Amino acid sequence: MGQVALTVDGLGVDFEGFKAVNGVTMTIDEGELRVLLGANGAGKTTLMDLISGKTKSTSGRVFLHDTDITNWEEHKIARAGIGRKFQIPSVFKELTVRRNLEVASCRNPGVFANLRFGFGAEAERIVDEVIELVGLTEEADHVAAYLSHGQTQWLELGLLITQNPKIILLDEPTAGMTQAETHKTSLIVNNLRGRHTIVVVEHDMAFVREIAERITVLHLGQVLAEGNVEEIEKNPKVREAYLGSKGIS
Amino acid sequence: MTLTPRRRIDWAIYATFVVLLMILPLVMDAFWLNRAAKYLVYGIVGVAVALSWGYAGILNLGQGLFFGAGAYMLAMSLKLASPTSLQQGSDKPVPDFMLWNAEPGARTELCCITKASFLWLPFQSQWFGVAMGLILPVLLALLLGTIVFRKRISGVFVSIITLALVLLVRLVVIDAQPVTNGFNGLTDLGWFKVAGFEFDPYIVPTYYLVAVSLSLVLIGARLLIDTRAGLILQAVRDDQNRARYLGFDVTAYQTFFFAVSAAITGFAGMLYVIVSEFASPTFMDLSFSITMVVWAAVGGRSSILGACIGAILINTISATVSETEGFAEAWKAIIGLIFVLVVLYLPRGLGGLAHDLVDRVLAWKSRTSPNPTRVGDTSSQLAE
Repeated sequence: MGQVALTVDGLGVDFEGFKAVNGVTMTIDEGELRVLLGANGAGKTTLMDLISGKTKSTSGRVFLHDTDITNWEEHKIARAGIGRKFQIPSVFKELTVRRNLEVASCRNPGVFANLRFGFGAEAERIVDEVIELVGLTEEADHVAAYLSHGQTQWLELGLLITQNPKIILLDEPTAGMTQAETHKTSLIVNNLRGRHTIVVVEHDMAFVREIAERITVLHLGQVLAEGNVEEIEKNPKVREAYLGSKGIS
Repeated sequence: MTLTPRRRIDWAIYATFVVLLMILPLVMDAFWLNRAAKYLVYGIVGVAVALSWGYAGILNLGQGLFFGAGAYMLAMSLKLASPTSLQQGSDKPVPDFMLWNAEPGARTELCCITKASFLWLPFQSQWFGVAMGLILPVLLALLLGTIVFRKRISGVFVSIITLALVLLVRLVVIDAQPVTNGFNGLTDLGWFKVAGFEFDPYIVPTYYLVAVSLSLVLIGARLLIDTRAGLILQAVRDDQNRARYLGFDVTAYQTFFFAVSAAITGFAGMLYVIVSEFASPTFMDLSFSITMVVWAAVGGRSSILGACIGAILINTISATVSETEGFAEAWKAIIGLIFVLVVLYLPRGLGGLAHDLVDRVLAWKSRTSPNPTRVGDTSSQLAE
């Protein structure tokens, strides 16, 4: 067991009486790849929102290593070392692929620090590497708006890789992808394993099997179970709450 | 910074434009030169609108607020420098309209002739007026920007807030007759002086004052958007949230560029006062602010030079058409028609059209040349 990278302690949010996330506690080790599983409305995305600062929590705390980052502003949490990919892919549509990544390569985020030209050889080297890693070499000088859905997802992954945060939160990175695209995505994610601590929300069980080490199952805003793929698939509570419900519908 | 072929062409176009500005006095008489100077001032406003609308994604429908602020600040100084201000029965300058609005029995002095006339005291120094012409718009923009952008107000709501604000300030200016001369504005101004030289609006040096200013603003704005901060600003425009989760303080970027746009507009307001010798509340009319947006739309809001040329072009056309017999009544309809046609058929304006042409030439060249150059960096900035 390595050092703990992310600690979530009794985290919860109360949307005027509706508790979307209710007292979730978990710890994620450095370099670990954790999958968050759960039915629609289980609170997976909300949990990511709480960790990344999009939604302010009403109870509990979040620690990045030893730093309490609970309810910080988003850009401060990002600077502290948490990167996030959204469910609906979001990139800078009017900029080229290369420009997108250059923006992400910027290490000093202040306005005045950036009143200068060029990004430097080191940044350009990283950008070139990432373009290759996510397989967008051909499209490097294309405007992001012209990319296909899958390519847009990979570009957003590329933004995260370039940003190089300690922890990467991925919200359904394979949503809307074909089988081949899903496979390529799992290769990219597997490539990140070990270099970053990764938390993935995912529905696609094929993809989960390709990447998962440990899985945390959420149900109605609470942690239902935690374990490896086999344990989770055998767990009767999980079968009833999540896998089982698939059988009914 | 490496110069791609695309960039080299861009700068060549900028250089050509600047050279044209510089040789214009060779072919124009004093009367037209003065008019041209006014249109160049509008060109500066075009740059400011492109910066805020095209690059920051902030559609400001109250740009006139910054223009008016800049104009009034300098006009106050120039009013005190006017010969008539020294003929009001005091040895210190007092604006003539203050006498007409004087409190009964008040001394004829700036300190106390009307209720708030003391505000004019520091404007006896022309350079105080010049400084305030930049500081006031920037302060207004910082204040407005910090509140609006921190609250994550965006899109049409920003437009509505800026629109309401310019109308509000216009009302206040009109209402404060004893200090602002209300509806009439500030007229009968003295000339702008630098080291003893007087900028008579109808002489060539005054034209050059404006032309050089425009050139500097153009090049400065272009360099600014070529910086990293300029690129990040465009990223913020495209997707605020994405930028935020990459660690950028979105509010700071928006506010900074909003303030730069305000400073440029305030500067334009001051130049306008120098060439037209008046400042009036019409600068803060809604129609004027909207006209500015039309200039940028026709010229191309995501092209700094495009928006600038758009402003100059529309004003030249409207002046020529409105003075042509037979069109005297119809010129507004013609301008309206041009606007509608451009929006329908050239949604990225003239700048977008020029950009596509350059792209095509580059693509054609790289096909025909034996040693193909990369048409790289096909600029993101203009594509939609």
